Amino acid sequence: MEELIRYGEKFFDELEIAVYRNRDVGVNIELNEVSTSSVRQRTITVIRGIIDKRIGISIIDSKDKEEIKKAIEEAYKMAKLNAPDEKWVSLPEPGKYREPKKISKEVKEVSPDYFVNLATKAIKLALEKDKGFVVADGDGGAQWSESLIVNSHGVDVFQEGGGAYFYLELIGRKNSNVTPGIFEFDAKLGLNLEVEKVVEEVAQKVKWAYNVEKSKTEEAKVIVGPWAMASLLSYALFPAFSGERVIKETTPLLNKVEQKIASELLTIYDDPFHELSLKPVIADDEGVPTRKNILIENGIFKGFVWNNYWGKVYGTESTGNGTRNLSTGGVGIGFHNIVIEKGKESLSDLISEIDHGYLVDGFQGAHSSNPDNGNFAVVANPAFLIESGEVKGSTVFMMSGNVYELINQIYAISKEQKVIPFHGTTITPWIAFEDVKIAGK
Amino acid sequence: MQDVLEKALEWAMNNLKAEYMELRYENLKKTNLELKDGTFVTFTGKIQRGVAIRVLADGAWGFSSTNRLENLEKAIEEAYKLAKAGAKAKREKIQLAEIKPIEDIVKSKMKIKPVEVNIDDKIGHLRELEKLLKEDKVVKSTMIRYEDASGEKILLTNEGTKIKWDVNYLVQYIWTTGKEGDKLAASRDSIGQVDYGWEIFETKETNEVVAQRVLKKLHAQLNGVAPKRGEFPIVAGPIIVGIIAHEALGHLAEADLTINSPFKDLMGKQIAPEFVTMSERIVDGGFGNDKYDDEGVPVKDIHIIENGILKELMVNREYAHKWGIEPNGHARAQDYTFPPIIRMRNTVFEPGDWSFEEMIEDIKFGYYVVDFRGGQAQLNSAFQVGVQEGYMIENGEITKPIRDTSISGIAIEALKKITAVGKDFGIETGFCGKGQTAFVSSGGPHMRFDGGIIIG
Repeated sequence: MEELIRYGEKFFDELEIAVYRNRDVGVNIELNEVSTSSVRQRTITVIRGIIDKRIGISIIDSKDKEEIKKAIEEAYKMAKLNAPDEKWVSLPEPGKYREPKKISKEVKEVSPDYFVNLATKAIKLALEKDKGFVVADGDGGAQWSESLIVNSHGVDVFQEGGGAYFYLELIGRKNSNVTPGIFEFDAKLGLNLEVEKVVEEVAQKVKWAYNVEKSKTEEAKVIVGPWAMASLLSYALFPAFSGERVIKETTPLLNKVEQKIASELLTIYDDPFHELSLKPVIADDEGVPTRKNILIENGIFKGFVWNNYWGKVYGTESTGNGTRNLSTGGVGIGFHNIVIEKGKESLSDLISEIDHGYLVDGFQGAHSSNPDNGNFAVVANPAFLIESGEVKGSTVFMMSGNVYELINQIYAISKEQKVIPFHGTTITPWIAFEDVKIAGK
Repeated sequence: MQDVLEKALEWAMNNLKAEYMELRYENLKKTNLELKDGTFVTFTGKIQRGVAIRVLADGAWGFSSTNRLENLEKAIEEAYKLAKAGAKAKREKIQLAEIKPIEDIVKSKMKIKPVEVNIDDKIGHLRELEKLLKEDKVVKSTMIRYEDASGEKILLTNEGTKIKWDVNYLVQYIWTTGKEGDKLAASRDSIGQVDYGWEIFETKETNEVVAQRVLKKLHAQLNGVAPKRGEFPIVAGPIIVGIIAHEALGHLAEADLTINSPFKDLMGKQIAPEFVTMSERIVDGGFGNDKYDDEGVPVKDIHIIENGILKELMVNREYAHKWGIEPNGHARAQDYTFPPIIRMRNTVFEPGDWSFEEMIEDIKFGYYVVDFRGGQAQLNSAFQVGVQEGYMIENGEITKPIRDTSISGIAIEALKKITAVGKDFGIETGFCGKGQTAFVSSGGPHMRFDGGIIIG
């Protein structure tokens, strides 16, 4: 790679070469049967070069030396056509990386047969649970990724790792009632997926859904489950932590560092080295060392995250949050593994303490939330009615409001957390909110 | 390249015992530009090249994809072995509906292909668009993303299909943030074309037209009031009608999903008033237009709902065999790293005979919803659509704009509440995610729903 950097320096003031190699194996399930088994392999090389503050990027599906040389020339052509970016400072310098986490290499060469067997077992277990169950959808697989980031300032970091996942979506049919599709999943760094637990949990939710209950238009206690929580916050709140929005004055958190913005029960941080993380990266996509970045601590907003470019424009340093879009080659600001700190109560206690309220498993339309002001209007579906401390049946309702008001309405957080492989990964507990305005159906 | 593929396929036909084998090669040259507040943060040339291999052996599918073109035989063998491994767990063997093998070259309909446009012109176009947006003082931040591609796709099967496409597309996406006082609001816009080339920016979608559309939505959001929550008469414009057609009804008519949806028991039944027809068809400017699908099946127009009756489904060859119907060209793959699955193309309600004025004149209080930001549906047709442009209807007139809200309902219930179908027609182009991304359009005329849709 040294030779290629030297070659690139003939054209550019600075350059970066990033090579990504992925191997995905998996099977998918359709209608109680294993459908397609697949192996997908891809190598992508991204060249980012800068000359006279002009940036040029090129991407190829190869890591062949001669092809990379051609890609460097292509990036140069692009840079010459681009206008200078007067804000550009420089690519990152080498940093001090943490010791990489020990990784399980079993996912590197796992055969799809492994997942065929896993899927077959899960289908059998699910169908034995209830005659009305249909396994509508499912997927099981593993991904192994290798990345190498080098630049002309001496950054040179190689990382490898992978993980496995399994998800199952069930539909229940009982008399004339057909439940909505309800899913559960597991994701781990190794192959130790808990299929029985996945089946158990999804079966419980489908059985709850056999009984359909009406929801009212009211203010009520609402427990939001991990999948729903991660999807809503990913669209309505997390974008506000981006440093780019500070510069553009498009974050509602502008000038709010060290101010209380949420219930003191809420602590959120981005930490790729958290014990449940599916992405224990030591460097981001620009080769900057990653670290734990606290976003909200006991309700107090602690600060923004930055990549190399926006950090330098602002006069601060990258927090190791540069994430590359492999379709376009552009580097934005993103997260590796957001963690919402767990609370003290068990989920079962949270449910049993509610006289009248709701448990939300999923939100429809979280992606229609407005990241610029935190407004959201989503449909809680699947959701469940809780009466006298017990789940009575499934229901559907609309929940609309503002995420900055919502995070002040937290009254309890569960001690259980779940890993959600969504926008990187999010590790979140069940969060209980009070006085939530809902529109029933 | 076709020679290399043919040679590899011939080797596979001589050495592997499979019912069906398919090689899909793709070689695209792409340009990606992203202009953010005066700076091109992405300025990228990209070459995407690789082969997708799908094998049906012993009634099960195996799929592999690779960009190592020097050893295709190995990748075909891998897909074959995967199919064999999956077959062991299969109770019902997959079979494919018969088709006539096709040899064809699909030419582009574009007048000006993106590859023929000088990059300076692309830069100039985006800068001008940004300037027009920023002339409005409320605009705080703009992001304009542009992508185009030109290249070839080749499909070869062991049944004799040989199709070569001249692939071209272009996409423009805008996200604008506005601020007035303490209020922040956002507006988005997207254009995607496979049949019209660069000429689209010189005719239908000039920078002036696009900027005006984006700013109108932004001001409506900034000046909007929160709507009342509840069920009111709703008049939906073509874009909202389209997203309901796509999300809440279209997905239920994708045969792989139909079996678990209410559509399964409603085939051949009246599910909407007789003046309602919803199609999956080629439309002018449709982002989902194509001559053949990724199994080499000619794309056919179908009526999902015809005069209120649920009639036809979208299928691939596997589901065409399962349902005993003709394949209709809906097997699509995002790119060479994915196998084809059943996808929509252009999902539209067909026009009726109402004018917009007639539709709203007797509404004392209701809402007119024009454009969305995100939509999602469940297989029971429960849908949610975020509204980014909408207005109140008071005493038969359009009055104040509304902000950051959504509409929701159960589409198969809402269909029964349609009371008027407009004589106009419009579409929006965009992307659909179903594990893979597909280029799609959706649309229709203005339509009125008297109940069945909740706002707020």
